[in-house]
Amino acid sequence: MAGVTIKGLSKTYGAASGVAAVSDLDLAIRDNQFVTLLGPSGCGKTTTLRLIAGYMAPDTGTIHVGERLVSSKGSVVPPEDRGMGMVFQNYAVWPHKTVFENVVFGLRVRKVPAAQARNLVEKTLALVGLSGYESRLPSELSGGQQQRVALARSLVVEPKILLLDEPLSNLDAKLRERMRIELKQLQRRTGITFIYVTHDQAEALALSDQIAVMHAGHLQQFGTPADVYGRPANRLVADFMGHVNFVTAKVVAANNATSTILVAGTLKAEVALPAGLKSGENVDVAIRPEDVILSGSAEGSPDRARGEVLEHTFLGNINEYFVKLTSGEQLRVQTHPKHQFKVGEAVLVALDTAHISIFAPSTTGTA
Amino acid sequence: MHGVLSLPRKSSAAIGLDRIVMMGAVVSLVILVVLPIGSLLLGSVKSEGGLTLEFFREALSGRLYLQALLNSLILGSWTGLFSVVIGLPLAWAVSRTNVPGKPLIRMTASLAYLSPPFLTAIAFVNLFGPNAGLINKLTRDVLGLPWLTFDIFSMSGLVLVTVMHTFPFVFLLASGALQSVDASYEEAAQILGAGKWRTAFTITAPLVAPAILSGTLLAFVNSIALFGSQAIIGLPGRIVTLPTRIYALFDYPPEYGLASALSLVFVLITVVALFVQRSYLARRSFVTFGGKGSRPQLIDVGPGRWLLLGFAVVVFVVAIALPYASLIAVSLSKSWGLDFWKGLTLQNYKFVLFEYDVTRRAITNSLILATLAATLAVMLGAIIGWIDLRTTIPGRRLLDYAALIPLGLPGIVMAVALIQFWLAMPLALYGTLAILLLAYTGRYVPLGVRAANASLRQIDPSLEESARILGASWGLTMREVTLPLIRPGLFAGWLLVFVPAIQELSASILLFSSSSITLAVAVYNLYETGYTEPVAALAIINVVIIAAAIWLAGQLGGRDTQKVGYASA
Repeated sequence: MAGVTIKGLSKTYGAASGVAAVSDLDLAIRDNQFVTLLGPSGCGKTTTLRLIAGYMAPDTGTIHVGERLVSSKGSVVPPEDRGMGMVFQNYAVWPHKTVFENVVFGLRVRKVPAAQARNLVEKTLALVGLSGYESRLPSELSGGQQQRVALARSLVVEPKILLLDEPLSNLDAKLRERMRIELKQLQRRTGITFIYVTHDQAEALALSDQIAVMHAGHLQQFGTPADVYGRPANRLVADFMGHVNFVTAKVVAANNATSTILVAGTLKAEVALPAGLKSGENVDVAIRPEDVILSGSAEGSPDRARGEVLEHTFLGNINEYFVKLTSGEQLRVQTHPKHQFKVGEAVLVALDTAHISIFAPSTTGTA
Repeated sequence: MHGVLSLPRKSSAAIGLDRIVMMGAVVSLVILVVLPIGSLLLGSVKSEGGLTLEFFREALSGRLYLQALLNSLILGSWTGLFSVVIGLPLAWAVSRTNVPGKPLIRMTASLAYLSPPFLTAIAFVNLFGPNAGLINKLTRDVLGLPWLTFDIFSMSGLVLVTVMHTFPFVFLLASGALQSVDASYEEAAQILGAGKWRTAFTITAPLVAPAILSGTLLAFVNSIALFGSQAIIGLPGRIVTLPTRIYALFDYPPEYGLASALSLVFVLITVVALFVQRSYLARRSFVTFGGKGSRPQLIDVGPGRWLLLGFAVVVFVVAIALPYASLIAVSLSKSWGLDFWKGLTLQNYKFVLFEYDVTRRAITNSLILATLAATLAVMLGAIIGWIDLRTTIPGRRLLDYAALIPLGLPGIVMAVALIQFWLAMPLALYGTLAILLLAYTGRYVPLGVRAANASLRQIDPSLEESARILGASWGLTMREVTLPLIRPGLFAGWLLVFVPAIQELSASILLFSSSSITLAVAVYNLYETGYTEPVAALAIINVVIIAAAIWLAGQLGGRDTQKVGYASA
């Protein structure tokens, strides 16, 4: 088993364009972890994965697997000598080989004796729930089954590291959810380091030990799902991880751990400020819809702001509202489904101050 | 309700334009293909006393006919094999390696395909004729190396000349497949530990094998159907093949029954080969087109790339440079020989263009025929394609198949069928331009259908449906939506028909008369009568017309003419 250490990694496609796909990336992936590279398309996550696999050479920087240097400028250990596994977005299950032939391929390359190979293939197919499908051709399998074949093909050779490039994006919602759980269990059981690429933040939150959020070739934040969701490093991360309200606020009293800010001119909140902010300065506040608390106007309370419900959407497990504050700002709010307000109703608005994030206005994120 | 604009009311009694157009297409197809094939079948079993299998017995047991059959199969097999030997390395070099000069390789394949095969044959006779061939003279008389001479009038000569025309089939299909294999198939093998060669043999080769086999079969089918080279090279070398044997059966007195039976044997070979090609390709087509799969990375073949380039240059020289250079040289010389450059002249061009009325008539006839045939074949193709893809009329698949039948008909067989049919009709079409037009249109209707089909498939039916729901009639929808959208494809299809039609020989050779003589027939007749130099001039003119047509279509259609050709001629 091994971790992956990436230092100063950069890759630019087509020297002329000059736009870096990956730029000065540092990432230390520990052994035995489920790590997700998350970001919108074009953020450099797939390029990073292909650099780790050795399909391309970096322009600068190095990649170590354990202690072994596998990639640096001008010197790349080819993919076939890395002992990794990879599951492709389109599965890349060879259409001219049966399920058995697909899965046994890596064992044949490793010259595993036939009887032992057969045994290993059968065990791995059982692991992914495809026992009895050995002699089928890929064209006779559903998308989900092909996906399992791809997985079995990678797992049977017991790689130290398994790379997965959006492996669930071609599956329907139900199957995707089930495979999510299976993948996570598989990682726990095998102890293989999973490096997983996706643009789906819910998938990343559900699966990962660590998430690396990328944008425009740069790493924005590397941390646990709770960190990345609850304490985003900048506006980009906050914005990418689900819905968020961005509101400006003014610092009323700067006192480190318990500073007071006035959100949208009406909402007072006690928060911890980033260092170096002084009284009177403006800050950006990111508030998740579930951290806004609504109550009926009758319940009156001095530190609550007044607002009016503009829009109500019932989503089954939650209610979603758009609330207009007296200052004119609009907030997206999510409440428990039984907690209902009518459109046009006057409400009182409070914030769960422990969960709001505060950024100095300049931190736009392309650090 | 207010604000609703009312639709113009339609008289319910009138038969729709769509019905008329579709009926027209069906009737045309019956006249062009179905009835002639029917009379070919009938002619092969009909004798004065009733039905007979005598003709088939003769065609399948007579020594002359079995020899022709055998020669055709030998020719087709060697040609298929050498088409792979030449086409596959070039395809691999272009699509997977860092070989220099890729445009040269692509151009070589395109030109080799577009060149009229009988012109290559004539050029090679000028160079390698056993006595008068320039290169043979050079090696025997000047260098004194008689063992280096090459007799073009032999099976190897015939294969050589034919391969120059057929290797592009393998090249195009193989390079297309090699480029479309999703790179992740190969990357998946690599990450599992397979090196470059292992990946190439266990993953890439099986994936592209159907395309290679398909190209080989197309090369086979096309090679055995070429009348021109088999007459020009084969007959002097006493190598009689099916087309030349059938042709000989029309010497006085013509033996229609035997010709029909032999034609059907010929058709059987072609159809079996095409059937294998289609069913195999359909069943084992792994190559995924389009898709977002990444492009395969090019292999650095190191110094090997100069070897590949050298190979490509040799192919270019043999297939293009040598024949064309020699044809140009011959066309400009007073008398072809080792000292041809002593008397350069434009007299041959003057002769064929202005003095000899047969060639002038031939050029006019061929231009008219090719233009009309291309237009008709594409129009018919568009209608049949539309019926197949956009309607639920019962029997539409049958229509589609009927339109594909001519693919399995060698040109000379088409001619035999048309003769059989129209001789029995009260209409005296034999020897007119009309019967040639029928032959060309019928032969090339599959190309029109294929071009239209390919274009129509790319247009979502909802584009047409949205015009209909807004109240547009069928005719208006076609004019405003469908036709403009498929226009580029139809243009390509038009060129696809025009190019082989302007050089058509295999069917024309049986159907022409002195007034309806065509360009290729004129070239062949001049060659037969021994006019070496004027033949070359006329051949060059033929090529200039083809080049001009492609250029013009490129200007008008605006699409890459690179795609044109290939599919099947």
